[in-house]
Amino acid sequence: MQTLLQLFFTALQIGAVYILFALGLTLIFGVLRIVNFAHGQFFTLSALIVSVAVPWFANGGSPVWLAYTLACLCGVIVTSALGALVYEVGFKRVERDMTGSFILSAGFVLMIEGVFTKLFGGIVRPVPPLVDGNIDVFGISVAAQRLVLCGVAAALTLLLTLALGGTRFGKALRAVSIDHQAAMLQGISYRRIGFGGFVAATAIGAVAGALIAPVAAVSPTLGDAYLVKGFIAVVIGGMGSVPGAILGGLFIAFVESFVGFYFDPSVASLAIFVLVMAVLLVRPKGLLGHE
Amino acid sequence: MITTDTPSIRLRAQGLSRRFGGLLAVSDLSLEIREREIVGLIGPNGAGKSTTFNLLSGFLASSSGRLQIDGHDVTGSSAETISRHGLVRTFQHGSMMRTMTVEDNILIGAIGGMRGGSRHERARRVRETAELVGLQHVLGETAGNLPHGLQRLASIAIAFAPRPRLLCLDEPLTGLNQTEVASVLATFRAIRDRFDTSILLVEHNMKAVMRTCDRLYVLHHGQLLATGTPAEIRENPQVLAAYLGNVNVD
Amino acid sequence: MNERFFRQGLLAVALAALLSVAAGSGYAGNLVIWIAIAAVLASTLRFVLLIGELNFAVAAFFGLGAYASGAATTLWQLPFGLSILTSGVVALLASAAFGYVTLRVKGPYFLLIGFAFTEALRILYTRSEWLGGNSGMVGIFPPAVLGDYFPTFVVAVAGALILLLARIEHSHLGRVFVAIRDNDSVVRSVGIPVHAMKVLCFCIASLVAGVAGALQAFSNNVISPLDFSFMLSTFALAYLKVGGERHALGPVVGAVLLVLLASVAQRFGGSEQIFYGAAIVFGVLFMPDGLTGWLARRRTARAKTALPSPAGEMQ
Repeated sequence: MQTLLQLFFTALQIGAVYILFALGLTLIFGVLRIVNFAHGQFFTLSALIVSVAVPWFANGGSPVWLAYTLACLCGVIVTSALGALVYEVGFKRVERDMTGSFILSAGFVLMIEGVFTKLFGGIVRPVPPLVDGNIDVFGISVAAQRLVLCGVAAALTLLLTLALGGTRFGKALRAVSIDHQAAMLQGISYRRIGFGGFVAATAIGAVAGALIAPVAAVSPTLGDAYLVKGFIAVVIGGMGSVPGAILGGLFIAFVESFVGFYFDPSVASLAIFVLVMAVLLVRPKGLLGHE
Repeated sequence: MITTDTPSIRLRAQGLSRRFGGLLAVSDLSLEIREREIVGLIGPNGAGKSTTFNLLSGFLASSSGRLQIDGHDVTGSSAETISRHGLVRTFQHGSMMRTMTVEDNILIGAIGGMRGGSRHERARRVRETAELVGLQHVLGETAGNLPHGLQRLASIAIAFAPRPRLLCLDEPLTGLNQTEVASVLATFRAIRDRFDTSILLVEHNMKAVMRTCDRLYVLHHGQLLATGTPAEIRENPQVLAAYLGNVNVD
Repeated sequence: MNERFFRQGLLAVALAALLSVAAGSGYAGNLVIWIAIAAVLASTLRFVLLIGELNFAVAAFFGLGAYASGAATTLWQLPFGLSILTSGVVALLASAAFGYVTLRVKGPYFLLIGFAFTEALRILYTRSEWLGGNSGMVGIFPPAVLGDYFPTFVVAVAGALILLLARIEHSHLGRVFVAIRDNDSVVRSVGIPVHAMKVLCFCIASLVAGVAGALQAFSNNVISPLDFSFMLSTFALAYLKVGGERHALGPVVGAVLLVLLASVAQRFGGSEQIFYGAAIVFGVLFMPDGLTGWLARRRTARAKTALPSPAGEMQ
């Protein structure tokens, strides 16, 4: 019973990051109909910035929590700026062209990852955790940092869902996602929504990266492992669907946690692959996919 | 083999129905198409004509009923299977490969209908089909660049290239001027007479339908309202009430 | 176009093979092999594009072919020709199974499932001790009789494979593939089994990729799981995009250009990754039709005739 609870919580922790990652991917696909292979690079950049900034701020005399907050802010802002740049220079010209945009994003992956390796080197940089120690939840020992991660992920997801339903921007995003031509006829500026959606998605990915930094091995290739899983989550859930991204992220996290424990991590990866094929057989557009 | 006076039945649909969510698009539809006849399927917009078409051609599965072609039960069969039993249909919009040449378009139809023919034989079928329909001078043109009237002809040519026994055309006359309509109708009659093909026509052009069809089926709210010859339908009070009232059918 | 085109193609392949003799078997020879295999990979990618799908699993079948030859040669002591045949057969069977299941989905889903498959296979290789696990397999040598002429052999085989794909593309079967990409409903309506045709296209491409994998195994003598990751599919995509998708020569041009670029970058100690990435970004943004498309457009612009309609834009 203990084990099950532990695995359950592990799944939630893993799932938190996958969900945030998948949310960014699905948002970009929903609005712009592009598959952004380079999403992992934004995730990684944020983590890298945090790993560099926290010691820098901390050495400057700030308490850990301030250093961390500032570092996160730095990470998200810089990454979002990069996202804006990449969109203006590149993706804007290939919106709605799935093949072209995918290839473009693949090009960006190579370029950006190469630059990261040159700038940050291949070493792993540990980041001191924001909150130290473990907390007892239902008799399970959970690292406090990971709990913060889960909390923030849940809050962000909720915020995003509310924003999509409530705010003008959110509704415009959904309108464009469902029928971009109709949305344009209604006066919604596709350019602005495209830009806004892309940057928002990048920011979400950056938050995920910033949160994972204290508990993961931060290196220029950090995003690669999450990329595969993130895409699988989106495929399972249905591309363009926010609830789908959440469902897919949780699905993968649970398989990884449970199968990973009873067998081993690589069997878990294989299992995920088989499951994705099975889902697509029955629902070719993912569990909650439309269009 | 017993020869009778009644012509053989090529297509028999019994009790077909199809639901989309809460909407019953087609219910309890039965119809027949006999050899060498041109049958019209008419009805106001939303009557279920397109759904019926999709049900007959296997592009949609029916939730009930049976479908037979030349006596073979093809209920629930895929579009490819039904096509190989001799029923080919066109689409209301986009019934051809826009980026390919007219020749290649018709070739696809020929390939579909000639399993195991030689390249030479298929090329001949393409030429003959193009000549029948009147496209022999534009074979090298890209289909998407053709004027609308020729595009319509191209879609008919593609569908007829496999020499189907049942040719089902979805609004083939839309957007054609009077001369073009007359020419296409003459082609239909030629196809029926020379090649022994039965034709099912969904059309809004009432004049053309009344002039060309041997029999009509009138659809209304997904159900069969009436069936008969054009003359009978023209007099049918239910049909008049539902739909034909304001249309000049002289 | 047909017969003359293929006679010219055969001549070109023969010429290329002859020239490659001059390269010898040292660094230049390896470069020639690298280019030839890259060209084949990109060509298979282009072939699957005929049915309108981006085949990100190309690295998976390439890897299957490589491992099949590796196992055939080092574990079962099969002769060279049989090993290559084994590679082709393994790739064919695997692609038939995979394609049958996955070609029911389209576009981004097919792309990403190919991505996942490539990664899954890579993990499988890592866990398979009999295939050398993480360290991979060694000792995969071509027969001594080929000796210094192995690069020539590779060029000849690669050229023949590319020509084969072009030949099929221009046959009636190729027309069916393109029609499926354009309007698969119409293709269904005339009785052509669309799903089966898509699987056939995929299998042909994967068979060729498998044979290319065999060539890779024999030319490198060593293979390991990391050689066959999604990065390889990305590189193949780069060759295709930079060279141009419309013309059969596009993948070849792209392969030559990018491989030479990469080897130059290597020499200067630069990260070839950044170069490839920049080349792809530049290609997509400024030359969406690739180099061959750009050249074709300049030629027709000079001839002052209107450009014929494109062969099919990807959406």
